Amino acid sequence: MPRILPALLFAALLLAAWEIYCATADVSPLVLPPPSGVLRALVVQRHQILHHAGSTILVAALGFSLSVSFACTASVALHFAPWLRRGAMPLLVASQTVPLVALAPLMILWFGFGLLPKVLLVILVTFFPILVSLLSGYARAPGAFVDLLSSMGAGRWQVFRRVTMPSARPAFFAGLRISATYAIVATIFAEYAGARAGIGIFILTAKNNFRADLVLAGVVVSAVLTLALLGALHIIDRTTARRFREASDATR
Amino acid sequence: MLRVEGLTIRAGSRVLVDDLALAIPDGRITCLIGPSGCGKSSVIKWLSGILDRSLEASGRAFLDGRPVPRPDPALAYQPQQDALFPWLTVAENAGLGLEMRGQSRRDARARVLPLFAPFGLEGCADAFPAQLSGGMRQRAAFLRTIVQDTRFVALDEPFSALDAVTRLRMQDWLCARLTETPRGVLMVTHDLHEATQMADRILVMSARPGRIVADIPLTTPRAARTEAALADTRSTLKSLLLKETS
Ligand SMILES: Nc1ncnc2c1ncn2[C@@H]1O[C@H](COP(=O)(O)OP(=O)(O)OP(=O)(O)O)[C@@H](O)[C@H]1O
Ligand SMILES: [Mg+2]
Repeated sequence: MPRILPALLFAALLLAAWEIYCATADVSPLVLPPPSGVLRALVVQRHQILHHAGSTILVAALGFSLSVSFACTASVALHFAPWLRRGAMPLLVASQTVPLVALAPLMILWFGFGLLPKVLLVILVTFFPILVSLLSGYARAPGAFVDLLSSMGAGRWQVFRRVTMPSARPAFFAGLRISATYAIVATIFAEYAGARAGIGIFILTAKNNFRADLVLAGVVVSAVLTLALLGALHIIDRTTARRFREASDATR
Repeated sequence: MLRVEGLTIRAGSRVLVDDLALAIPDGRITCLIGPSGCGKSSVIKWLSGILDRSLEASGRAFLDGRPVPRPDPALAYQPQQDALFPWLTVAENAGLGLEMRGQSRRDARARVLPLFAPFGLEGCADAFPAQLSGGMRQRAAFLRTIVQDTRFVALDEPFSALDAVTRLRMQDWLCARLTETPRGVLMVTHDLHEATQMADRILVMSARPGRIVADIPLTTPRAARTEAALADTRSTLKSLLLKETS
């Protein structure tokens, strides 16, 4: 807990400065509402916000978990088939250069306003970082470990399971964290492009009504959701395999 | 007797090892000594079936006169680093060879645990390698090799990562273990002192191309190997090695 104390302190200072600025400077709350105003908006609109956040959480969670399982499966295939890797990698890299502003409307155009286009967008955005970090993690498996197992008569799959996969664990979680920060943002973007509910819709409506406090309330919710996802990953990382953490702490 | 014949290893057009032949008798320590880069590790890796795929090799291995595959189940390999997996406990690491040879994790554990005390690893079974000292890690690596109960053992510079004192202690210790349960040992080293202390036979390898240029038996019993008794052998080896490196 003491480790997040500096972060909390820093955030508190920032909010205080913002509040004081709004109170002393001649700035309309319609343009820049103070933190207390945003908080009030959050409380007043809590039912609305909860409804929209629920939709966002569903899409992000579904998209992110599908993305993780696809990335894991794809990484194994690409690891064992170098020709597949050489063929698919350039395409995957190219797919990452398509801007979200183009992708999101296309998804809506092709797949309508349901769950599917939004989930697809989240997958498209979060899949690549996980895949790349897995592959680079696999490549980091120590040659001496692989040699040792092979000399014991282990096959390719056994080497993968006993050495390659465990070696990739730190890289895997690093990739998960990167993707997690994209997951909520991608969901909101997809909603913004067209949806019935979601924090993206909440922000869009607030913007159209010139309610800066509500826009900021939406931003707060999106940040909280992202932090919650990162926190969950952190807990999974810590608890699923204590031994891995000890091992990587020691080699650091 | 494990025998290698006509081993040639090439890296592209460069010949690393040229028509090398060597024999590893049962229950004896054979040291392979030679200048850095002469191909000692490559020979051991070839024998253990893990030679880098970018290298081309031809040659044959025989066990008691019969051709054997590589890796041969009768040979246990120990790499230059201790290669303990940081995510496995010491006991799991020690039992890895047994597991790979088809035993269950539980059987492997039951088999390695009684050896922790004689290997100086008491109380370390459930520790992680990062919690051990260099000497203990090396002993854990030896345990992993020895417990596989193979007739032959290939050790690639097993003491190179240790400090001088620990190294001396571990050399005596390993000789003692090998007297308890004799194995045919092929041990790579570039330490003259180590070779003359431990070996029953020393094979000297030349560089570019790698071949065996001298085969020196050591008949003095280990206990009687004083500095004076070994002086002659050492100076012979020294001149051979210096000639090979020049
Ligand atoms: N994969 C490879 N491709 C090309 N050359 C290689 C490869 N592996 C090893 N070599 C070369 O083969 C030679 C022998 O290497 P090896 O590791 O067998 O030597 P060594 O006698 O064990 O040396 P050291 O005492 O330093 O451990 C070296 O000159 C090295 O550069
Ligand atoms: Mg070597």
